[in-house]
Amino acid sequence: MNKGNHKNVSTIDEYEIRLTGLYEEYYDKIARYVYVHIGDREEAEDIAGEVFLKALKSLKSYREQGVPMQGWLFRIAHNLTVDYLRKMDKRRSAPIDSVVLLGNDDPVDTAEKNIEFERVTEAMKQLTTEQREVITLRFFGGFTSKEVGGILGKGDGAVREMQRAAIEKLRGTMGVQK
Amino acid sequence: MMAEDFDRILDECIDRINSGDSLADCLSDYPAYSEKLKPLLQSMSDVQKTYTFTPSADTKRAARQKFHAALGKRQQMTPVLSFFKVIPRSAVWATVAVLVLAVVGTLVIQSVLNAPELVPSPDGNFAFLISDEPSDINDFENFDVTILRVELQAAGSKERLEFVPEVETVDLTRLQGDEFQEIWRGHVPAGQYSHIHIYIGEVKGKLGLTGQTIYVKVPGDVVHMPIPFEITVDMVTIYTFDITVVEAGNSGTYILKLRLNESGAWQEQKLL
Repeated sequence: MNKGNHKNVSTIDEYEIRLTGLYEEYYDKIARYVYVHIGDREEAEDIAGEVFLKALKSLKSYREQGVPMQGWLFRIAHNLTVDYLRKMDKRRSAPIDSVVLLGNDDPVDTAEKNIEFERVTEAMKQLTTEQREVITLRFFGGFTSKEVGGILGKGDGAVREMQRAAIEKLRGTMGVQK
Repeated sequence: MMAEDFDRILDECIDRINSGDSLADCLSDYPAYSEKLKPLLQSMSDVQKTYTFTPSADTKRAARQKFHAALGKRQQMTPVLSFFKVIPRSAVWATVAVLVLAVVGTLVIQSVLNAPELVPSPDGNFAFLISDEPSDINDFENFDVTILRVELQAAGSKERLEFVPEVETVDLTRLQGDEFQEIWRGHVPAGQYSHIHIYIGEVKGKLGLTGQTIYVKVPGDVVHMPIPFEITVDMVTIYTFDITVVEAGNSGTYILKLRLNESGAWQEQKLL
């Protein structure tokens, strides 16, 4: 039994309440964050649900230490996303390349959306892994640069610099493709 | 213009747009920077539009129900703590004394017999997976293997660290081929490790054809994996324990077989 990991019941209760309170807002955000990485909406939604179950199970290991609980949820989401991509990789499929958006809308509109999706996805793939994390956490997680810094273990100045470089690269790639 | 100033202004505009402000409002507040800001914020908007979607209400509802069910299950365990409230105070102290002695005794015995226990954590630097190969496992409807604990042995030392899997029982019929199940993830001290010792509990499977339950005995109830591996602070070490079930001839006796070639460790970048 690990003594350093003990938390009293009231702390765990409080964490449970906080986690429950985050569900409605962060389920959607996490689903979008995962979607950016794996390109499959249904799977992204399943993983978002799994994040909360995993968080509940691991509440004892949650430590505040400057990272808010919502940041911790995104860490879990990141790990589950990596697991998912690893599985997909073992199955020799490239999820982000093979995605085609399905829709019941006008076929021209759907085709245009697919082209746009490919354009943006291709640009996202040109980013470094860290730049992609900064962009997804800022654009879809709704975190401030300081909070992203806390999650990634970087200073907020470094995050701002990485963010600008990432958007410039996105702009360059998307501009060239247009 | 200092790069840092521009980074700060861009950052502020992103925050404002995330909070519902318009791109035009932000540009009008910084006319000197608007020419450079506009294409970047437009790119941000393109990326957000591309990936923003509203999750299906049905899927979200189902996930919420699952979450609340898991929460309810946890909370059902709490009443045990109120046990002491309903018995006399003297009995409480007597019980506490007995329990303290029992716990102290257990800890002393454990410290002699057991390795230090590691703490699970979703952002840990070590993950332990179970996998399986399609084989005679197809004879079974389900095949459950229970892992009691896992010990990591440091290279050139007899010192061991142990963890108890978060997922104790895995059904091998669900882990065929490229499938795997992560049973533990947590922080492990960086260093070279020479062995993993896996302590196996009950191993049983239900034959699909007859419905008969078969119990499999693992010699010594422990599997020693002599594959060296390294654990570092900045990478996640993923260790796979790949096992399969084979029938010994056509005897109807099944044995658990370790697949050494498919087992072992690799590392992945730890981002967060």
